[in-house]
Amino acid sequence: MSDTSQLYSQADLLYVSLSDRTITRKSIPEELTRNYLGGRGLGVKLLYDNLAPGIDPLSPENWIIFAVGPSTATSVPTAGRFVVITKSPATGTVFDSHAGGYFGAQLRRAGIAAVIVTGASESPVYLWINDDQVEIRDASKVWGMDTDVTTDELIKATDEKAQVACIGPAGENMINLAAIMTDKHRAAGRGGVGAVMGSKKLKAIVARGTKKIGVEDSEKLSTSVKRARLLIKKNGVTSKALPVYGTPVLLNVVNELGMLPTHNFQEGTFNDADGVSGEKLLERLARKNYNCYGCPIGCGRMSRARGKDVGGPEFESIWSLGPQCGINDLEWIAIANDKCNLLGIDTISVGSTIGCVMELVQRGKLEHSLKFGDTTGILEMIEDIAHARGLGAELGKGSKIFAKQYGAPELAMQVKGLEIPAYDPRGVQGHALGYATSNRGGCHLRSYLIGPEVMGSPVLVDRDSTDGKADLVILYQNLSAAMDSMVVCRFTNFAWTVDDYADMAAACTGLSIDGNELLKIGSRIWNLERMFNIREGFTRSDDALPPRFSTPLPEGASRNRVAQIDVMLPEYYSLRGWDKEGNPSSKLLKELNIPQ
Amino acid sequence: MVITVEELAQTIDHTVLKPETTRNKVKQLCEEAMTYNFAAVCINAVHVEYAVELLKDSSVKVCCVVGFPLGATLPEVKAMETRTVVALGAHEVDMVMNVGALRDENFDLVKRDVEAVVAASGDAHVKVILETGLMIDEQMVKACLICKDAGADFVKTSTGFGPMGATPHDVKIMRETVGKSMGVKAAGGIRTFKEALRIIDAGANRIGTSGGIGIIEDYRWAQYSDSWMQPDKPCWTCPSRMANIAKQPKEVYLWYKQRCLTCPDKEHNIFTD
Repeated sequence: MSDTSQLYSQADLLYVSLSDRTITRKSIPEELTRNYLGGRGLGVKLLYDNLAPGIDPLSPENWIIFAVGPSTATSVPTAGRFVVITKSPATGTVFDSHAGGYFGAQLRRAGIAAVIVTGASESPVYLWINDDQVEIRDASKVWGMDTDVTTDELIKATDEKAQVACIGPAGENMINLAAIMTDKHRAAGRGGVGAVMGSKKLKAIVARGTKKIGVEDSEKLSTSVKRARLLIKKNGVTSKALPVYGTPVLLNVVNELGMLPTHNFQEGTFNDADGVSGEKLLERLARKNYNCYGCPIGCGRMSRARGKDVGGPEFESIWSLGPQCGINDLEWIAIANDKCNLLGIDTISVGSTIGCVMELVQRGKLEHSLKFGDTTGILEMIEDIAHARGLGAELGKGSKIFAKQYGAPELAMQVKGLEIPAYDPRGVQGHALGYATSNRGGCHLRSYLIGPEVMGSPVLVDRDSTDGKADLVILYQNLSAAMDSMVVCRFTNFAWTVDDYADMAAACTGLSIDGNELLKIGSRIWNLERMFNIREGFTRSDDALPPRFSTPLPEGASRNRVAQIDVMLPEYYSLRGWDKEGNPSSKLLKELNIPQ
Repeated sequence: MVITVEELAQTIDHTVLKPETTRNKVKQLCEEAMTYNFAAVCINAVHVEYAVELLKDSSVKVCCVVGFPLGATLPEVKAMETRTVVALGAHEVDMVMNVGALRDENFDLVKRDVEAVVAASGDAHVKVILETGLMIDEQMVKACLICKDAGADFVKTSTGFGPMGATPHDVKIMRETVGKSMGVKAAGGIRTFKEALRIIDAGANRIGTSGGIGIIEDYRWAQYSDSWMQPDKPCWTCPSRMANIAKQPKEVYLWYKQRCLTCPDKEHNIFTD
């Protein structure tokens, strides 16, 4: 049963060539939805089929895709997100970076499933999508401006109800840490996706849509959504912890387990954790919650620091700009986080890279005034990074390149060139395997085993054990790939099971999708990403953690542990159906309908 | 263990016993119990009449606690409570045993206390809460035998307000003591399907929890991986690990801790897991 609104299958793929300024609309091939749903899966498939191996991510040959999914702007909770898929300048891998806010819903309401930007413009431009009207407009007036001013100016120039996804100076200067910002405070932060926009001289996409969005089976969706909302309400994480404290609720929890990376992962316990915790944020700075489109959880925060209204800060940002650099001033962290938002920089990677610099200084590898625990000069350094000035230009390449340049590659806490987030892998074996095998590098979201290993969701599993972890990592990687292709928020994962996602995906697309089929779609996406990366030259040796994680932490509740990747990786490859070098077998690729 | 989602739901007493519970919360509890087809709702006496009305056309039973949560009132008072709630429609009564009398070895009083409730319960089932965290294994065995002798239908581990929750260790002893003819209800701290399955495996046939929906919903994850049920460190589920001198009699606490010294899994007794 379908209603009269626009279905996902009727949405368009909008091809925008910035080189010759042509705009073309195409229908979504049915098999693309059936095999890859939308969002991340759709983007990965298009890149795999169309990008030549070995291209420079910052060249006109790279594509950048802004995609939504079958659930976007429907009644599915949290379905207002969008995903950016491109070849990453930070990692050289295929990359998907996600943001909340309201932009995704506007894009979908304009009748678009994905905007595929190719080529490069000679002068700064922005894309104005106003329902069926699409224009490439001059952006020279906002080029060089921070993301907040850019957002305000482009809304003034278009429609007060429009939503903006834009880059700041960091993206314009094509630094590897550049993010894409939307609604001023939400970021598609990771992988340098902002730099790819900058390389194309694309300052922003502005979207306004007024179409009513429909689904293939509205009755089924209504039932599943009712149930999904109940589950969010009944779950302690989604109904209490996240709404009350936001993501920083994790800070004290992770610290008490001795796995809060401190001083560039030299320690796992931060003495002043309480001072930068979610509880302290609530008491001191937080003013109100921020809910993304269609979200009943509301984990976002709007805070006030040093007399200024700022977004966040989120857990990962507090960690990277705080304990990672030995800093315990929560208000300063909020200001530094805001600075990153304005400049359009990934807070995780910039904080981790600065922490790496601090350790280089500590070990006498580099002479500089930056030192652990001292905020002096960091805000200026962040400015320098965004504008690619002086030492900042070197830091803007990320910790992997920077540390190697100074003769200490082992001090970069990264996987495949992407800085590792706020969980020391020595304290969580499954999560460690997730870092090592992530297709986009050091990422906590491809397989968030912090759920079962730390938070007991859905059940607590022994964080120190390697038994069964390969199996769970694969389950979470496949499910995450499917969730990112529907496109919904990762936090629903605390409340919903595989079956819930499958029910909603089936209702939105009209396809026969049960839990196993959804995981198969996720597996297909995962394996296609793997094939993309293999084509780019990645091998088994890239599925590894920095050597630091083979040395035990000296103290705290995760002391005397190392990340046992070598124990888990063979089992992981075997369960994936890959050979000993990590190559998917022909049989598997055939089963998944992936061309060889 | 092979158990369906529906079978697991049928073991659950969907529970709300907090003092701040409102009628609205009781209504929600009953609606959820019907949706998930739980065995019963477990509530305080003030809500029995309302719950009976809400559940009148369903198979979900109304279970009411008596002498709760301390069990330190007179047998006559527990009996009167029981008569009243049964008259209001309660199908099951969860009474708290006189733990102090058991520790005094005043077994006649313990038995009389249970008998009084059984006599007042009519057709309703009587479950006796031992509050296992306040006793050592020998006392638990004695308590089970008294309850059986006094005609109770179930023995139950904990109130949820005491020093410990249910553990597989306690449930196993209780089941071995009462045999198959009585029920064993585990309650207190059971929040996940892994804990629920372990408790059932140890011998429980009823589970009291306020987290029933989470347990049932999360159990759907089990079909997608066997790894959820990987064994944990033994200390995680051992009552000795949960012993707390601030909440338990000193000799009970020390008895639990003494067991750690001779435990074959002693090497797992680290405080960083």
